[in-house]
Amino acid sequence: MNGRTGSFLLGILAIATLPTPAQWLNYPTPGIPRTRDGKPNLTAPAPKVADGKPDLSGIWALTTGASGVRQLKPSEIKPWALELAKERQESLGKDSPAGHCLPDGPGHAGGLDRIVQTPPLILILHEDLTYRQIFLDGRELSKDPNPAWMGYSVGRWEGDTLVVESAGYNDRTWFEFGYPHTESLRITERIRRADFGHITVDVTYSDPGAYEKPWTAKREMQYRPDTELLEYVCAENEKDRVHLVGKLSDDGKNAVTVPLQILREYVGTYERQIPKGPQEIKVTVEEGQLTLSFAGDAPWRATAHSETTFTAFGTRYEFFKNDKGEVTHFLMIDGSGPWIADRKK
Amino acid sequence: MIIKASSYLAPFLLAAAPLGAQWLHYPTPGIPRTPDGKANLTAPAPRTPDGKPDLSGIWQADGAEDNPAVRDLEDVSPTSEGKAMLQPRAPGAPCLPPAIASVPLSPFKIYHLSKTLVMLSEYNLFRQIFMDGRPLPRDPNPTWLGYSVGRWDGDTLVVDTNGFNSERGIIGGRSGSGRLGPRPHSGAMHVVERFRRRDFGHMEVQFTIDDPKVYERPWSFREDVRLVPDTELLEYICEENEKDFQHRVGRQ
Repeated sequence: MNGRTGSFLLGILAIATLPTPAQWLNYPTPGIPRTRDGKPNLTAPAPKVADGKPDLSGIWALTTGASGVRQLKPSEIKPWALELAKERQESLGKDSPAGHCLPDGPGHAGGLDRIVQTPPLILILHEDLTYRQIFLDGRELSKDPNPAWMGYSVGRWEGDTLVVESAGYNDRTWFEFGYPHTESLRITERIRRADFGHITVDVTYSDPGAYEKPWTAKREMQYRPDTELLEYVCAENEKDRVHLVGKLSDDGKNAVTVPLQILREYVGTYERQIPKGPQEIKVTVEEGQLTLSFAGDAPWRATAHSETTFTAFGTRYEFFKNDKGEVTHFLMIDGSGPWIADRKK
Repeated sequence: MIIKASSYLAPFLLAAAPLGAQWLHYPTPGIPRTPDGKANLTAPAPRTPDGKPDLSGIWQADGAEDNPAVRDLEDVSPTSEGKAMLQPRAPGAPCLPPAIASVPLSPFKIYHLSKTLVMLSEYNLFRQIFMDGRPLPRDPNPTWLGYSVGRWDGDTLVVDTNGFNSERGIIGGRSGSGRLGPRPHSGAMHVVERFRRRDFGHMEVQFTIDDPKVYERPWSFREDVRLVPDTELLEYICEENEKDFQHRVGRQ
């Protein structure tokens, strides 16, 4: 799962092994700004290429990659799309493209990426060996392209912002939580390298085939110095798929009702350490149910199995108290292992 | 026992072939053309600012009679360990990357940057060849595609690759006339590729395979690739609707 949030589908599937933070003998990246102690200076100014445009080159970790489709209200989603998402959630994402070692396409939401920049073309290399080509040579998007997993992308500079328009996707990739899209999907990315170590991308998704209105999401990328991409081959020794037999509704069979005053003891802000850094998790109570929100993502509701144990989309949450009876942390157990989330507030 | 330049391990033929690619026949900008507007494939090879040949472009060896993918393929004797690897193995390596991405017949695209050469394959994978002076890793995590560094020998780019895994390792791809049939390799394989762009439209790639666990001596072959102008890579996803491998039940 690579510590990504909104992970239910990807997390449950926890397909084979995960892209590991990669290295080539910890080879120091040549020519990057460093502080006096030799560490990479991630807050130095963004570098420029010869023509004065920002240079986006480097290895980047996606710290927020979800499409944010769940911010739409149900009424803004076409009924068939909502129904399909529910079906996919019910089968816990068993048939997701990732479960069949197919490309993430526009649902790409984790791992390390390398951006390679040349004036007429920008390449984005993913650790799963898929790649995107973004053409800046003035060509237009095809009117009727052969639908592709990775789509077709063209870019242009608006000041220091790279604006990338993509279309020509097939309809087989999923957004998080199984939300579908059609071949009408268009994506606009506005990519800005804020400083040496950080890229922010404002992404607009538009798909009139499945959604009543466009929506936007913010994606953040952190520079990863002194390392290298390490290939990840999903089809290598894949043994997970046959075990994906559960249903989301199985969760409800053992549900118990926990008194509101006990649920309220868990309300607060928690933090867990994932490979990308600390991740904030907010726990609230809504309509009598414990509700979790990861890194500002849309919340989901958990089913109670005891006064201390809850599940949501196949992930188990177990809360712990200290001697004084104060809630100190919870364990989060999913396909990527147990995680500890310490209470901060 | 001699491995001939013909079809060993034919059961491993990989699914369908990537299609000839296109983005609406978009003309490749900035390439030399003849007066009738066609790409001038015999113009001199372009150069990078530092004077070295620029290998950028979309390349393909089509395996046709006038353009065989593989030439001068050496026969080679396997070691005793290598003989065991030559036995037909159970099918079941579907949709896994081939070692050395430029050997299969799928078109590949080279981006030639000053310190890196990126090779995109239509088979939905890429290689990075580092030319920043780093050494090959000594004890790398084994990978399907290995670790590659490049250096110049005159106008020839010499690429060294190691760090291959040995699971079901196969170099080469489809069999057939003028092609390199699949040949096994181990994790000890070391590959040297020598890229020489003869002119705008033609490049020779000389391969030397040194895998002492499998072969008694290094062996080599040459691949002649042609530049494919005015087109674009089209993605090929092997896992998409894959239905072949369950039928691979025969034995040699």
